[in-house]
Amino acid sequence: MAESPIIEVKNITKRFKGLTAVKDVSFTVREGGITGMIGPNGAGKSTTFNMICGYYPPTEGRIFYKGQDITDKKAYEYTNMKIARTFQIMKPLKNLSVLDNVVASSYFGHAGAKNVREARERAMEVLQFTGLYEKRHVLSKDMGTPDQKRLEMARALATKPEMLFLDENMAGLNPAETEEAIRLIRRINESGVTILLIEHIMQAVVSLCEEVIVLHHGEKIADGTPQQVMNDPYVMEVYLGTKKEDTHA
Amino acid sequence: MDSKKAVHTYHRNLTIVLGLILLVFILIPTVVKSPYILNIFVLVFYMSTLSMAWNLLGGMTGQNSLGHAAYMGLGAYACCLLVVKTGANPWIAAVFGMVVVGLVAGIVFYPCFILRGPYFTLVSIAFGESIRQVIINSEFFGRASGVGLPFGSDSWLDFRFTSKVPYYYVGLLMMIGVYLVMKKIDRSKMGFALKTIREDEDAAAAIGINPTRYKIMAVVISAMVAGLVGFFYASYIRYIDPELMVQAKSTESVLPAVVGGAAYVEGPIVGGLIMIPLSEYLRANFSSILPGINMLMYAVVLLAVIRFRPTGILGWYMNSRTKNFIDQKVLKKPSLEVLEEAELMEYQKREV
Repeated sequence: MAESPIIEVKNITKRFKGLTAVKDVSFTVREGGITGMIGPNGAGKSTTFNMICGYYPPTEGRIFYKGQDITDKKAYEYTNMKIARTFQIMKPLKNLSVLDNVVASSYFGHAGAKNVREARERAMEVLQFTGLYEKRHVLSKDMGTPDQKRLEMARALATKPEMLFLDENMAGLNPAETEEAIRLIRRINESGVTILLIEHIMQAVVSLCEEVIVLHHGEKIADGTPQQVMNDPYVMEVYLGTKKEDTHA
Repeated sequence: MDSKKAVHTYHRNLTIVLGLILLVFILIPTVVKSPYILNIFVLVFYMSTLSMAWNLLGGMTGQNSLGHAAYMGLGAYACCLLVVKTGANPWIAAVFGMVVVGLVAGIVFYPCFILRGPYFTLVSIAFGESIRQVIINSEFFGRASGVGLPFGSDSWLDFRFTSKVPYYYVGLLMMIGVYLVMKKIDRSKMGFALKTIREDEDAAAAIGINPTRYKIMAVVISAMVAGLVGFFYASYIRYIDPELMVQAKSTESVLPAVVGGAAYVEGPIVGGLIMIPLSEYLRANFSSILPGINMLMYAVVLLAVIRFRPTGILGWYMNSRTKNFIDQKVLKKPSLEVLEEAELMEYQKREV
């Protein structure tokens, strides 16, 4: 690999009491690209994500960001390192307006706004970028799923990250909305943000990602370009079942 | 240009309305001479202030404290003991009391905030009760017989008056002052941090807020304000005892905020202005008919508010037609877009 990876995960394992959710997973994320993480339900995608984002420490293994060991960093220290994330289950600040949701983010992180003006201006910019500008005075709890997903991204972007983690940002969207979300993610990437995303929707993964990591039962079973991964016999078996069942049907 | 004018008119109307309300409060003691009525107003002022202190934690940060009477009592004790034992000036004692309460609250709650959920509430109850027990059982604090402040002639220096009027104005000033501080916090970076923590602690951490740090800041500020109220109370009543810190008093400090609307900085004042006179009125008029009936009626009112207006009186008002009417006809409030535009223009002007 010519350039050094922005994220390097080395042999992380997570055990919850007796249950091993993630077992000995290693991968790297290339700077400037979009990397996808796929796998069936319960494969350990979100657990892996939460470990990388500092929500709980891995039982074993280390995580590096730009060569620096960040395994023991707390979740709130991440925006200072220019890392932001979204949540699979949206966590909007329900009783605040969309604008205030984003203003709150603008105050914090490595480039936190110094005053109200700066915070509001940045919030407006981000809202325009994510297409929420027209809805800025709506209470965030009154918005539908697609807009709340967008708001998750807007809040993450307001901290000016260089690395963005998206946790199932397209789940629950219809094809047209997915198409729009894909366009937005591509635009974010083009503005210089490295992205690692978890996704179920194959259409999104294939059209966005340059590299894909496949998890199954907490273990990495394949990685490579979307085409390579999708033609991998084991991945096909995991996703579509074995040949025997095929012939049976 | 037109929009600028509209915003200007709106601000002018708003100032006039607020000024009129303030004027009414300033003029009340010149009209009302009954010490009983004035006492109720003083009660409203300091209970609303205490409730604002609670609201910073309970309403803005989402940490329900049931120990605010203890902060208040601790502040009162710190002031009184300093005055009685060293003969210090009560105004200096007020600052001393606030610092003591802030420090104690910070040290006690630092470990609790590492935990999440209702632990804070539990610790706040235990905190209040243990402080009370310490005071009852210690000679230094005057045991159960309490501490009295020295009596003497009226003096501003000693904050000591026979009339209730000076207390009325100081109480009003304290309430307005604390309100302005809370409003400032509400709009600041810290306010956004606290509200984010209230909504979701994980979301707060995800945008770089250290929840523990901000919760400690909130608890210390809240406790200091409660300590200030304690100083005011002690100077007003001139005698304090450990009964000040019983659990019921802590609950009383929560009610104005909840009834008024805990999500709003103004909530405790609105709630206080309604609930405290109501409670006094019921006590004065009904408790002689059937002892305890006043409490029962108070409870019914409280239940009704919580059942039908769970977001408090302000929570209802903010989305009501009444507000719409007042905004449009009385204040002539322009649309949000116009206000926003004016704000941006204001920023640009400041930059030049």
